Amino acid sequence: MASWLALGRAPAFAQKRELTFLSWNHFVPASDDELRKQAETFGKQAGVAVRVDTIAHLQLPAKRAAEAQAQSGHDLLFVADADPFLFENQLVDMGDVIDDLGKRYGGWYPFAEEAARTKAGWRGVPWFWVSFPATYNMTHFKKAGLEHPKTWDELLKHGTILKKQGNPVGIAVSHCADANTTFWSVLWCYGGKVLEADGKTPAINSDKTARVIEWYKELYRDAMEPEVLSWDDASNNRCILAGKCSWIHNPISPYNLALTKSMPIADEINHHNSPAGPAGTHSAPPITAIGIWKFSKNGQLAKDFIKFLFQKDNFDSWIVASNAFNHPPLRHFADHPIWAKNPKFAMLPKEAEYAHPRGWPAKPNAAVQLIQVNYILPDMVAKAINGMPTKRAMAWAEDQVKLAVQGKLKEGGAV
Amino acid sequence: MAIGERALEATELARPSRLARVREWWEQEHVFGYSLIVPALALIVGLVAYPFGMAIYFSLSDYWVGSPGQFIGLRNFWEILGNEIFQQTVYNTFVFALIAVAFKTVLGVWLAMLLFRDFKFKRLIRGAVLLPWVIPTALSVLAWGWMFDSLYSVVNWTAIHLGLINPPGPNWLGLTGYAVTAVIAVNVWRGLPFFAIIVLAGLVSIPREYYEAAEVDGAGSWGRFRHVTLPLLKPVLAVVILFSTIFTFSDFNIVQVLTRGGPVNTTHLFATLAYQIGLTGGNLGQGAAVSLFLFPLLGAFVFLQLRYIRRE
Repeated sequence: MASWLALGRAPAFAQKRELTFLSWNHFVPASDDELRKQAETFGKQAGVAVRVDTIAHLQLPAKRAAEAQAQSGHDLLFVADADPFLFENQLVDMGDVIDDLGKRYGGWYPFAEEAARTKAGWRGVPWFWVSFPATYNMTHFKKAGLEHPKTWDELLKHGTILKKQGNPVGIAVSHCADANTTFWSVLWCYGGKVLEADGKTPAINSDKTARVIEWYKELYRDAMEPEVLSWDDASNNRCILAGKCSWIHNPISPYNLALTKSMPIADEINHHNSPAGPAGTHSAPPITAIGIWKFSKNGQLAKDFIKFLFQKDNFDSWIVASNAFNHPPLRHFADHPIWAKNPKFAMLPKEAEYAHPRGWPAKPNAAVQLIQVNYILPDMVAKAINGMPTKRAMAWAEDQVKLAVQGKLKEGGAV
Repeated sequence: MAIGERALEATELARPSRLARVREWWEQEHVFGYSLIVPALALIVGLVAYPFGMAIYFSLSDYWVGSPGQFIGLRNFWEILGNEIFQQTVYNTFVFALIAVAFKTVLGVWLAMLLFRDFKFKRLIRGAVLLPWVIPTALSVLAWGWMFDSLYSVVNWTAIHLGLINPPGPNWLGLTGYAVTAVIAVNVWRGLPFFAIIVLAGLVSIPREYYEAAEVDGAGSWGRFRHVTLPLLKPVLAVVILFSTIFTFSDFNIVQVLTRGGPVNTTHLFATLAYQIGLTGGNLGQGAAVSLFLFPLLGAFVFLQLRYIRRE
């Protein structure tokens, strides 16, 4: 009986060394197809089977939590935001891969270290970031005799004229990811911050935040419509594609959609760099990385796989497959012609210089994650827009930031 | 060969007696009865009791995803009690559940009375009424999301074209009053069929003689409803209100798809806030504490309701 079992299993077991990668369903599915293709090629070279599992990004947190709890699951995993910090003790150190790739490809952009290096070391290899420029309707601006805005102040001025023309500006002030992203950008551009660099001292109650709230209030009153209070992440795309909105702060997805569906409005849409403020230009694009579970028995193989994905030709074809959506965290990869040759994309790679993970100058730690998922920042703005005095709205947000910071952070574990 | 045959005979002789013994053991009441319960018990322990125990353990610890926590007693509960977002959520949940269950009760009885009558395609329509209850909530709520969309709202478009409201119409999911109305409306739409069908079953079981007797005594239609239908429906109503209240208090999909708790947390329910803090935020301990707040509330409610039903 025992020998029969062993006979039945042995061959399967021998060929079954399998490397597994848990990732998200990419917004551009062709990007995942290319990833799988490369995984297969790597598998053939290394003599292993490589499996890429992709699930909806909203299901990722639960899945990851379950794998960490069970200490079993995939070898590699997609991480973003606070994950490298939350799972600091569960993820393998990536310092060697980082050094190797950085030397070979012109170095990492500054945001890479901010996003993936914890006190304990690199807990992920930054994989790609999603540019978050301004998308605007050239026809609307031309009709009003305006150039695209270079600063947030200018956006307010232009927006006031454009709204009267029937083409409001659209920035979500609601429970959605875009609302968070834009708020961070504006706050940083005006010199504000939510936490000090230590990651636990609240810094949100300041003149700078007050100025940002006032700016939002004016923008809401003079340049936007009340609908922004109800928006989800797709609403601003719809607003610009419907020909209603003149300007939104968003990834290039509406333009790409207009192209794929041959919508005439594609010709009218263009992009420009995220606006500047008195404290310079800063933006908060989504930044992703690849981590390796410490419980994985294929640590070295997983690192080889990551290096394989970062070989120039592989990374290049992956950028192409993503339709210019996946921006590289390494400088040399940013020279890819897909951006340079399209005037509407040419400015995109430059956004990397302005990028920071959420929470900056603090690290994107557990408290930042709570501030994000509880939508404290857009809610602070919404309260002020709905009539709460700016100071009270700020005090409310400060209370919430304090609540987010207490608890786990007291132990100094996840800062 | 010979030995083989003999061996075979031997086993054949032994088999019935052993089988009989096993059967005898098996058919004893305490063995057979309990073994019938075991599968159900395993399911309940594995899928209800164990997660529930884990939730209690999480709620008493400083547990974050990725890092096991220490026992911290009731600190999570104190912290969320002091949090303005949680206080708002408690208020929302009660407003939401009370209004939604009240509407479902009144409309549900009404709908059941209508379905009780004789009309053409009775079976077809009775079946069709169940549709909102049967369709996966996430899907139907997506459709509602479109109906309340800021740009493409069918509700507003229709009302504007009928001249009922001025464009652009209500900002359904962006202003507190409208958003709460929208979320409650969708919950009523979804929960109504359950209510109506169960009440309908109660109606069918009321003997016709009572109505005839009431008619002889000169009761009008309202009198018959008030003095015959309603008293006899009471036990059914009590059960269905109990279930509906539990479903409503623990609703998740509708809010998560329509508003994600917005605008400014005014539509958050226990389940959505717990998900937000525990799973997306990573603070499992506090997320579990939020969701456990529901337990004593519902426990007390179930206790009172069941006692009432037993007395009846």
